[in-house]
Amino acid sequence: MSTEPADTKAARALQPPEIIRIAARDEAAFREAVVGYAPVLHRIAYRMTGNTADAEDIAQETMLRLWNNAERLAKRPDPVTLEPWLKRVAINLAFDRLRLRKRRSDKDLPERADPAPLADDRIEESETAARARRLVASLPERQRAALVLTYYEDLPNSEAAAIMQLKLKAFESLLHRARGALRVAFESEDQGGAS
Amino acid sequence: MTGQASDPIVRGEALDQALGGYTVPDLPLDFVERVLAARDSSSTSSLPPLRRQRARRTTRRVATGALIAGALATAAAATGVFKEIGVDLPTPQEVWTTITGAELEPSAPPSPSPRPVSEPSQSVDAEAPISIEGPIDTPEELEEAFRRIDEARKTRIDRRQDRVDRQLDEAINQRREQGMPAPAPERVEAMKDRLEDARERFDNRSGQLREERREVLRDRVEEGEALGPGDVRPERRRPRRDGRWRDQLEALREMTPQERRDAIQRFRDRQDVQSQVTTEPVTPQVSLPDRE
Repeated sequence: MSTEPADTKAARALQPPEIIRIAARDEAAFREAVVGYAPVLHRIAYRMTGNTADAEDIAQETMLRLWNNAERLAKRPDPVTLEPWLKRVAINLAFDRLRLRKRRSDKDLPERADPAPLADDRIEESETAARARRLVASLPERQRAALVLTYYEDLPNSEAAAIMQLKLKAFESLLHRARGALRVAFESEDQGGAS
Repeated sequence: MTGQASDPIVRGEALDQALGGYTVPDLPLDFVERVLAARDSSSTSSLPPLRRQRARRTTRRVATGALIAGALATAAAATGVFKEIGVDLPTPQEVWTTITGAELEPSAPPSPSPRPVSEPSQSVDAEAPISIEGPIDTPEELEEAFRRIDEARKTRIDRRQDRVDRQLDEAINQRREQGMPAPAPERVEAMKDRLEDARERFDNRSGQLREERREVLRDRVEEGEALGPGDVRPERRRPRRDGRWRDQLEALREMTPQERRDAIQRFRDRQDVQSQVTTEPVTPQVSLPDRE
């Protein structure tokens, strides 16, 4: 007879099977999750940080957090949807990286982080991509996340708001500011290029 | 792209084309294997730190236990053996006392057979539970009522404290697992201490008020008054507004300002009428106060 408490059993019934399987240390389930979710996490992290190494680290760390926290997720009394949870973790880890980078860059001589890509990124990067990177990097981190989730990941505002744990109205306001700031940056680049 | 009307980035415009150029490099082919390898190495390295202190404590306990057990066994065996040859040896209990420093229990005579449960051991007045029948009109009944109330309160407060502590831990764990900054364990402890202090201050304050109320009730019972449940039970907080209230508030929010003013005025009029009826039932013809 199972000795699992009734509330834990009930919580497990709420959670998606992939979480339950990973919580049960099912290697195949974890591998499937990595194969299925790592690309989207990597995309988000790359556009948030603009750095290949950071993006890979964040995608990896997010998947490891899933592995390490699966048991706790499986016991949650509220249903957990895996993909938004992973995206939220990736976004938060990206925030951490950006803040760490800012703190380090504030201490060093250059006052801001160097937006230029690393050598390996630079090899195949076109001018168009470099410009897009500069534009996105010009946004504050939360605005950047809002833009990445809606514009690049094509998520509805409600889903993106849930990932960022914001009320819909607050998220829409953030997104509105992001678009405005982006347009300003874009136009000033244009004017700078023209003059 | 979202393509909403409010979206200032119009599909196909220059900004859209510029942003669209932000391509993402592919993940390395061995990424999955790398994650799995990292998981294996992290699961090895993330073993909980050695609890050296606990280990030392456990070792000491085990060693002491083994020593005591050995000493007792030796003494018991020796007593048995040397008794045969007339040598006086300490009893196992005496050995135990030497080791632990505990008081030696008096060698009691063989204990009598257990007393039947039903046999009253003391006077009925001292042991029998106090039952409250009808109104509370004796000090004993009143104290019993207080005791029951305190018991129920303690259970309620304990549950609430557990719930708050659990919610705090859950919130911190969630932040941690989602990669958000979470307070260090020392800070969490400090937060809980502050919470505990606040609880104590609240309990002390409410305890004083409660005791004052109880003194009044004790005086009333002493004077021969019979108290009903309404007198003894603490005054309940006002019940939360039910769903009907919420609906009415929502309806107010949907009204135009003029409609809202009218509705509020009607409500005040009704309140005034009710208060007049309850306070002055013989003069219902009093005119309503003009609030506008």
